[in-house]
Amino acid sequence: MSLPRPLEGIRVVDFTWVRAGPWAARWLGTFGAEVIKVEWPENLDILRMNRFTVPTGVEPGPNSTGQFADTNANKRGITLNVRTPKGLEVIKKLIAVSDVVIENFSSRIMQRFGLGYDVLKQIKPDIVYISMAGFGQTGRHHNYGTMGPAAQALSGLTFLSGLPGVPPAGWGWSYLDDTGGMYGAMCALTALRHRNATGKGQHVDLSQMITGITLTGSAFLDKTVNGRQARREGYPPGNRTTWPGAPVTNNYRGPTVAPHNGYRTKGGGYNDWCVIACFSNQEWKNLVKLMGSPSWADDSRFDTLNGRLEHQEEIDRGIESWTKTLEKYELADKCQADGVRAMPVQSSEDRVEHDPQLRDRGMYTEMDHPMLGRWKFQNAPFKLSGSPPEMHRPPPMIGQHNREVMEELLGLSHHELEDGYKDGTFWPEEMPMYPYVEEALK
Amino acid sequence: MTNNVSPNPAALAGPLSGLRVLELADEKGQFCGKLMGDLGADVIKIEPRGGQNTRSVGPFYKDIPHQDRSLSFWHYNTSKRGITLNLESTEGRELFRRLTATADIVLETFPPGYLPALGLGYKDLASGNPGLIVCSLTPFGQTGPWRDYLTCDLAHLAAGGQMASSGYDADDVADAPPIAPGGGNAWHIGSHYAYMGIMAALFYRDASGEGQYIDASVHEACALTTEGAIAIYLSTGEVVQRHTGRHASPDNSVKIQLPTQDGGWVNVTRSGSALNPARLRRLAEWMDEHGLAQDLLDEKYQDLATVQADARHTTDVLANFFANMPQEDLWTGGQERDFPWGAIRTMDEIMGDPHLEDRGFFVEVEHPELGQSFTYPGAAAIYNGSPWAISRRAPLIGEHNEEIFCGELALSKGELTLLAESGVI
Repeated sequence: MSLPRPLEGIRVVDFTWVRAGPWAARWLGTFGAEVIKVEWPENLDILRMNRFTVPTGVEPGPNSTGQFADTNANKRGITLNVRTPKGLEVIKKLIAVSDVVIENFSSRIMQRFGLGYDVLKQIKPDIVYISMAGFGQTGRHHNYGTMGPAAQALSGLTFLSGLPGVPPAGWGWSYLDDTGGMYGAMCALTALRHRNATGKGQHVDLSQMITGITLTGSAFLDKTVNGRQARREGYPPGNRTTWPGAPVTNNYRGPTVAPHNGYRTKGGGYNDWCVIACFSNQEWKNLVKLMGSPSWADDSRFDTLNGRLEHQEEIDRGIESWTKTLEKYELADKCQADGVRAMPVQSSEDRVEHDPQLRDRGMYTEMDHPMLGRWKFQNAPFKLSGSPPEMHRPPPMIGQHNREVMEELLGLSHHELEDGYKDGTFWPEEMPMYPYVEEALK
Repeated sequence: MTNNVSPNPAALAGPLSGLRVLELADEKGQFCGKLMGDLGADVIKIEPRGGQNTRSVGPFYKDIPHQDRSLSFWHYNTSKRGITLNLESTEGRELFRRLTATADIVLETFPPGYLPALGLGYKDLASGNPGLIVCSLTPFGQTGPWRDYLTCDLAHLAAGGQMASSGYDADDVADAPPIAPGGGNAWHIGSHYAYMGIMAALFYRDASGEGQYIDASVHEACALTTEGAIAIYLSTGEVVQRHTGRHASPDNSVKIQLPTQDGGWVNVTRSGSALNPARLRRLAEWMDEHGLAQDLLDEKYQDLATVQADARHTTDVLANFFANMPQEDLWTGGQERDFPWGAIRTMDEIMGDPHLEDRGFFVEVEHPELGQSFTYPGAAAIYNGSPWAISRRAPLIGEHNEEIFCGELALSKGELTLLAESGVI
């Protein structure tokens, strides 16, 4: 007998699109919930159109992008026009037999559909409703829109990243879509467990932008408690803990130490970099010995933390003259063997192809995808001894599961289903159907 | 500026109330404990004698270092009670076992193998409490060739791929290194996934009665948190290039981080605000109010193909408009016109944001030991039926030793004194 999955028997109506919302629902599916993604072909999820992730030789189309695939694994998918009275009636039937409704539309779009929380709880009194609007559903600017990078900017996260004296580097991806997704999943899991314990559902009103503020570490308290000015000399200090010559203030990453930086490695390629950090005098001594005790490093000014902080430029130049002689993985291995904190800067290719740890732990699982073929999906970053999370289903092709959801789950007759395709409920009237959609109707 | 997230928090308990968590965590897991504590779990932080090392991380209150004055420790340890315990003593281990008998969750961040070597591994602890969930959150997990490697936030952001995606366009900063974004986010990322693993284990326990062991890896969590970089590689074999303030991508995309007249920047996210004739007109009319529309009101921009073809020119005109306007007016003016723009705010600008005040985000937390209250960051999400709340400030060292050891484990004051004198607490 197979073990029950953690969310066995939980059904999720997933109205989400783009990244943050779908990533949230993806994890509910990974824990065994039955996730049904609701889409409409005239307003395609933009990840279905991500031009950078259609593999060579695969016919472009809404079912052909690698980015949509990984973000929407472990879900089934239906197409339904909830803006029509008939579509609204169908979605209410689905909600009535579901546990969670999750969406990341702009604020109050669900109310406009006639699916606000007041309506949802009439249909299903203990429903858990997770909204993930950029600014949330309440507050005077709830109508403000955000994509990940703008949310990061507004939250204070962007300002924490970069070199001093030049514009912020920010985050080179939508961190608040990945992490906003985490919070969406965490909210759903938490509210669902509360429902299981008390019988009561609720609306959880998550804000993507505000999530970012809570991820700035102690920068917030340094302002409110110490009154520290954010814009100050030598801040942000790049990959260092503090910038040489500037007054020592914490950079909210951990203790103030040196060396602590990125260094070029052998090969000189775009990602041939490693990082090295010495958290104690002993770790610095270990590094000096490992470098072969070069004459530049044999300097009493570097024996103390203060001295190393002051002379970071000199130390970093010296370290880099050594790191450039070693390949980045070899360098990290040597450092680690001698008690020095060092890791390679890893690109996406490095993580998939070269990272021995991720390979050993089985970070990527392959599944068959109807358009992409044998395809890698990212696993959960934890192992559960009793109820392991599973990649069990490739993402839905658009409208792929209409028949099984409408007929088997909601009890519509085949005739009603066919009518819905003719009257624009399950597929736009003017849009040609994909062969698999027609096939499913036979 | 103070609000509570619920009109009457006393009437409603947090969603995790009733759960007891024993947290033995340093920088890697303290945020996970805070997440659970602020949502109502009874989190007992078990620190080594003399206090957890995270107490010595700055910044400090008024820049005076002291183990009870670390703002970093304050931030990450709200809603927890604190006790001290030397697990390397026989008496310490015995007291820990007694505490695990009534706990739901143990969250620990020791090096792999440390607790089992003390006879405190999952199997040892679960034998007295089969429903116990033990989560180990470590740099690389309990297995694999890098298991024992030393790390820090920077090291994880290097190996996890964050740095390979973050940095500068060469024409903004020549020869720039890959940049590790600040804030301690490797630990946040690890803590979020540990939280999810713990929740999954709770559902399983609710259904089966069985606890389990969770082996969570900060490295895997970080490797999973670079949005499209992995998918782009898997799909096309291409590795992303770093760009200033926007998505790393295989191409040289349009710049979207525009400097403002007052020395700030506004992010004008492309994908959410792709221009069409109507949107460009709306923008141009606003710019024209300030005499800065240049040719954008020209009739030729009522043609979509022209708008798309002239994207770089439009960006130049927009950049000039930005260079002549203050940051605050730009991003809010854009939002009022339905452009999802965001200023690069610092804490200086975030304080007092009326929208945040409306949502009760700024919460006052009392520090009775200092006779003062301070403003802490509130909730990312408003749980309307079971409110988030900071129930107390971070514990002082051993603050709840008497409450837990005498109050719960029924030790006498005399026994407590002996434990302190003999190096157990």
